[in-house]
Amino acid sequence: MAANRKIKNMAERKYEKVYTSDPLASASPETREQIGHLENYIMKNCLWQFNSRGWDRRKQNAGILGQTTQLLCDEEVAITSPLEKCYWVDATLLNRAYRERFPWIMEMPKEDVKALMQLLNARLDWTTIDGSLNLELTVVNY
Amino acid sequence: MPYHEFECSKVIPERKEHAVIKGEGEDLTSCLPKGYLNTIPGTISERGCAYCGAKHVIGTPMKDVIHISHGPVGCTYDTWQTKRYISDNDNFQLKYTFATDVKEKHIVFGAEKLLKQNIIEAFKAFPDTKRMTIYQTCATALIGDDANAIAEEVMEELPDVDIFVCNSPGFGGPSQSGGHHKINIAWINQKVGTLEPEITSDHVINYVGEYNIQGDQEVMQDYFKRMGIQVLSTFTGNGSYDDLRGMHRAHLNVLECARSAEYICDELRDRYGIPRLDIDGFGFKPLADSLRKIGLFFGIEERAEQIIAEETAKWRPQLDWYKARLEGKKVCLWPGGSKLWHWANVIQEEMGVKVVSVYTKFGHQGDMEKGVSRCGEGALAIDDPNELEGLEALDMLKPDVIFTGKRPGEMAKKVGVPYLNAHAYHNGPYKGFEGWVRFARDIYNAVYSPIHQLALRDISKDEIPAGQGFVTRRMLSDTNLPDEITSSPVLSEYTGTYDSVSALRKKTYPEFPRTSATTLKDAA
Repeated sequence: MAANRKIKNMAERKYEKVYTSDPLASASPETREQIGHLENYIMKNCLWQFNSRGWDRRKQNAGILGQTTQLLCDEEVAITSPLEKCYWVDATLLNRAYRERFPWIMEMPKEDVKALMQLLNARLDWTTIDGSLNLELTVVNY
Repeated sequence: MPYHEFECSKVIPERKEHAVIKGEGEDLTSCLPKGYLNTIPGTISERGCAYCGAKHVIGTPMKDVIHISHGPVGCTYDTWQTKRYISDNDNFQLKYTFATDVKEKHIVFGAEKLLKQNIIEAFKAFPDTKRMTIYQTCATALIGDDANAIAEEVMEELPDVDIFVCNSPGFGGPSQSGGHHKINIAWINQKVGTLEPEITSDHVINYVGEYNIQGDQEVMQDYFKRMGIQVLSTFTGNGSYDDLRGMHRAHLNVLECARSAEYICDELRDRYGIPRLDIDGFGFKPLADSLRKIGLFFGIEERAEQIIAEETAKWRPQLDWYKARLEGKKVCLWPGGSKLWHWANVIQEEMGVKVVSVYTKFGHQGDMEKGVSRCGEGALAIDDPNELEGLEALDMLKPDVIFTGKRPGEMAKKVGVPYLNAHAYHNGPYKGFEGWVRFARDIYNAVYSPIHQLALRDISKDEIPAGQGFVTRRMLSDTNLPDEITSSPVLSEYTGTYDSVSALRKKTYPEFPRTSATTLKDAA
């Protein structure tokens, strides 16, 4: 009664790189410092960004940071599946940590928060996927 | 790339890419050693084999099972004396170990008959145990013994038994990690979905990548039960064979050791839509955040908060007692795989020590990504080190203590560096709030051991202070501490008992009213 083992998302698993250089390279020193704080917290305290395959990392980064952005901007997060609920759980903790540790983020206009979080997502995609030296990210099987 | 070349490994130039020192401004795009590759000829690796990874790490912690190695008796070496994955059924899986005792004649004439005879004998010897796992070894895999066919034959003859076959001979991967992978995939392919479990709660998890080292699983299970969560199965410490056949009915996979068990979580997500939530059971903040996350997922965060508040109030002052005395001590995190990243940041934050090196014997680059990210600048990260590299690193870094396995640990002692067993623990469990304090206590005891201080003196050349009497750890650790620490009415040494686990087995838990159907039949 084992479930169907055929891989349904092979195209997604054979992904192309999105970033070919560090998206922070042209950012201002202030933005780099802000992103540095936010990124450092994730790297030291979270595990979700390190799923073993690149396609999973891309989804995790976008899902969790996307929802964190919504929470930081006091927007409602729509959860339609258990997988999205899992993103929401991690996003909720990240939102709380950011508000507590980096109060300056709550003083920023919402549009700036969104832009900053988008850049953080790009930076995380760069360090953990496209710029990563991990040779196993492109293996198509678990 | 900030590679570090060991003097002792200059004759093996390929080794250079397996060690890095994290420099200022380095990140994962510039600082990551190679990993999970075949061992380089000439380097004496300390890795285990793929059979060991499948059987001794993941398979054997299952508690209600006869575990048979199909191969030479020596392959069953790792048992009671080296493994500490205890269970609440009187440690059946540790006390009894089975091998088919394959010899030269079987290599020539085949060992399938021998395997069948052993299976029948084992079931007769333990008539109450109806579940079995069989592990191929190098010898029987090479001669082509068909363990699956024999298992099918026996299951036809003995319809009340169920057998799982794991084809992960020793040569089946660069290290034990190859075996972790094979048994993960084999279990979900062969067994998950073959039994419908009883659901007793609205909140149901599989606890994955947890091996109940000295009771870790039972400590975490206590928290889950206090939250009203049903632990449907544990993969695999203190886990039941039949519970693990029903993994497909959980609402959430809570993953502890991603190194050894992420594969089955990812497959459960892919095949059954069960999400994967990675957690850290070590350290106050990571553990508290982990319980919060699980609570949030099920909408019962207040139950998690109550546990966090109670446990923190009780154990934080004791953790801080040790933190004050461990501040600035240099440690090497040299475990097998996941603990290097579980511990790398939190041990610095909550115990005040400095991690000067991380290494992994069988970890992949993914583990090093986590480890390198979580430790500070200047840390030396080594993949699959050999003994000489370990010694050279100790000489270079001069750590106060290292956390590693038995073999490198004993080697470290010889050069005057105390070690704690990172795999099987010294006086665990180390998970949970109390467990983290027990770990701090063990570190303190190792660093300030008076006998260790004495052992470092070389009577052939060192001056031996004849006028000095007996010293205690407190005399060594408290010398330069301020009064508010040494006389604090709040901080105290560990107050727990020698055995912090057995009492959990007799505990009763609150019943939480259910809102969903009682059984799957009701749900249908």
